[in-house]
Amino acid sequence: MAIIKATKTPTRPAPISETSVLGWLQKNLFSSPLNTLLTVITTYIIYLTLYGVYVWGFTDATFVADTRRECYGNSLTGACWAGVIDWLDNIFYGRYPREELWRINFGGLLLAFWMAPLWITRAKGKVLVGASVVVFYPFLAGYLFSGGDKGLFMQVMISAAIVAFVINMTNAIAGLLKQQSIAQFIITSLGKANAADKSQRNFLIGIVAIGFGAAFLWQSSWTVEFVPWTKWGGLFLTLVISGIGIASALPGGIILALGRRSKLPVLRVLSTGFIEIFRSVPLITVLFMATTMFPLFMPEGFVLNKLVQVIIAVVLFNACYMAETVRAGLQAIPKGQFEGAHTIGLGYWGTMGLIIMPQALKHMIPNIVGSFIGLLKDTTLVSIIGLFDILGMLRSISKDIPWLGLHKEPLIFGAILFFIICFAMSKYSRHLEVKLSAGSNH
Amino acid sequence: MTDITDRKAEVRVRPKEEFNFFQDQRVRSAFYQILTAGLVGWMVWYLISNTAHNLEVRGMNTGFSFINATAGFDTDFKLVEYKPGVGTYGDIFIIGALNTLLISFLAIIVSTVLGFLIGVLRLSSNWLVSKVALAYVEVFRNIPLLIQIVFWYIGVFSLLPVVKKSLDLSFGAERVILNNRGLYFATPIPGDLFWMTLVALAMAVIGAIIYRRRAHKRQDASGEQTKTLLPSLAAIIFLPLIVFFATGMPLEWDIPTLQGFNFEGGTSVPPAFLALLVALSIYHAAHIAESVRAGILSVNRGQSDAAMAIGLKSGKVMGLVIIPQAMPAIVPPLISNWMNTVKNSSLAIAIGYSDIVSLFMQTALNQAGYAVEMVGMTMAFYMFISLTISFFLNIYNKRVQLVER
Repeated sequence: MAIIKATKTPTRPAPISETSVLGWLQKNLFSSPLNTLLTVITTYIIYLTLYGVYVWGFTDATFVADTRRECYGNSLTGACWAGVIDWLDNIFYGRYPREELWRINFGGLLLAFWMAPLWITRAKGKVLVGASVVVFYPFLAGYLFSGGDKGLFMQVMISAAIVAFVINMTNAIAGLLKQQSIAQFIITSLGKANAADKSQRNFLIGIVAIGFGAAFLWQSSWTVEFVPWTKWGGLFLTLVISGIGIASALPGGIILALGRRSKLPVLRVLSTGFIEIFRSVPLITVLFMATTMFPLFMPEGFVLNKLVQVIIAVVLFNACYMAETVRAGLQAIPKGQFEGAHTIGLGYWGTMGLIIMPQALKHMIPNIVGSFIGLLKDTTLVSIIGLFDILGMLRSISKDIPWLGLHKEPLIFGAILFFIICFAMSKYSRHLEVKLSAGSNH
Repeated sequence: MTDITDRKAEVRVRPKEEFNFFQDQRVRSAFYQILTAGLVGWMVWYLISNTAHNLEVRGMNTGFSFINATAGFDTDFKLVEYKPGVGTYGDIFIIGALNTLLISFLAIIVSTVLGFLIGVLRLSSNWLVSKVALAYVEVFRNIPLLIQIVFWYIGVFSLLPVVKKSLDLSFGAERVILNNRGLYFATPIPGDLFWMTLVALAMAVIGAIIYRRRAHKRQDASGEQTKTLLPSLAAIIFLPLIVFFATGMPLEWDIPTLQGFNFEGGTSVPPAFLALLVALSIYHAAHIAESVRAGILSVNRGQSDAAMAIGLKSGKVMGLVIIPQAMPAIVPPLISNWMNTVKNSSLAIAIGYSDIVSLFMQTALNQAGYAVEMVGMTMAFYMFISLTISFFLNIYNKRVQLVER
């Protein structure tokens, strides 16, 4: 005899402890007497902190004033944000001439547009986009920021950068609309898809050459005013130093890491020694070395300016840290990949460039972002040796006559600024980590 | 016998590989190495010759004779006897090195304790507590250390009350005093028979260790557990105390007292020291908390489930099962954090605490001007510390690996 149920038993609702707010509270906050006590104490501490910060930073704070005395007249216990607001331009741009600020903004915008295709999934040739940023952007931006007379070399590089930028933008648009690279798009839309490879290439090179000529003519028609590096400052200078730092530390780090893992003993010993020396000393000693000893290293009469000295020091220092990041990435590549590459007859550079590095770099992206955060934070050290980076600017507010002695508010503002930048970047790198590990097989 | 001769003949007969000078592996590797060594050697020679020339042209002094020259400046914080005009630059180097080591040592201890605490809180089952710990980690990790140090110095320790209105941290006993000139605290001065108290303390500690070992042995043999914590604590506290009172309390206090405009007596540390200590501890605790959390999470969940299944309490699950297995994952990042603490203590220069960088590499360098030697000595000091620490780390890693397999 079989028992057959004609109707399906309805599923029971989940227990109340799993669904309701009260259940969640009970489980996560009040599960035991000790937990309840902890919750109450923590809530009280959070309340005290947030309330104190709120009163100091908002209700009692002064946002509009001309001097610190006026802030005091308004409230003795509140923050004086008026000083920070008054100095905002200095904090972001340093002493850069006020009427020339558009150059910095434009440079930043240019970089954002240039790098944007990296995040567009439909755009083609991401590696080329990344390479063109590193190779060409610095020249364009460097001239934009410092200005003055263009030498012939700079003229050529600026024209090349303009061409690269235009190609990059059209390429991104072609990718967005047709999911093609710009080269494919031009070839197909002009009906040359069936022509021989060589004639296609010649045709494209011709277009680029014409573009280069046009860019060269156009750029020679304008110049921008010269701004000495001593006027650079604020967040702008911080970003310039750390940007150059990260862009040159990566190739340097790759070379050093390859040297350290090389089979050739001389290369290995030299790279290991170099890496370990720089990794075992603090950045500030390297910066001091740069400012006190670089002038002695150079041939007589050859003077490097302080900014270049600092940048060299930052690059050397970070290349060594980057080398360790790259080495870790290389170690994660299974040995079979090396052996496979050898089997199909690739030499050392073929193996590294085509097989190992692309895989290793993909694994390393989160760590590279991590290094960049570290570098950005470390760049504040240049204020110690007398550059007016963002921290230098924040600290000089207290020496400005109207805001004499205003220390706390600028520092807190700087802390918030850095927190936002670094936190966003670290969140992004964690997102990348998840995305990349989801895409890989292990 | 014939076999061997055959094989020999074969070897001789085998056609020689064509020797191509440019494609031969050994030739190429030797070439690259000689090229690199030559380039680096030329570079070093070039820099050295430039430096020598520049030093000569500028009439700068070289050599290490300055170590025995007297230094004419004073420091506000020193652990060894030093008088300006009498002490030498060698003394300055030692003072700076000791100050760096002192602040790093204290910061390492505080940040490790705080970091473990926050790392464990981060994994708390209490949602609010774990979120607060997360906020702590994220906030302090993402703000540059230098901003934090300057903030603690200018924003907190310089705004403390003036000397006349000092804060008394020992609840009215006037033994620990905090004001905007620093922290003052009473120092014990041991009397004649104080060594007996120390001997008693040592004996109590040794006794407690022996007792603990016996208890362990007994548990291994019979399964019986003995309470060790309370008896050992009692012995360690009361035995020295009894001896201390029996010998007539041979301990006096050097108490800081207000004389004129400042406190005299006792021991004092400047505000810069406090600011640096607090900032370093908080910053590195956030980093340590992350590695502690990652280490604990790296232990397979099955381990804690199994430990609970055999009836261990949650405290013992942590102490006997999870932490011992998490340690190999925690220790390497922990120690690299310690190294970073030592290196980051050099930021003292921003607030004027006299560590080796600000005292020797800046003040002394500006006074005496032996740039190459002084920068070299400072870097050598840091390299020595780093190499020592990584030497011990390697020993530890080897031991852990041996235990594993």
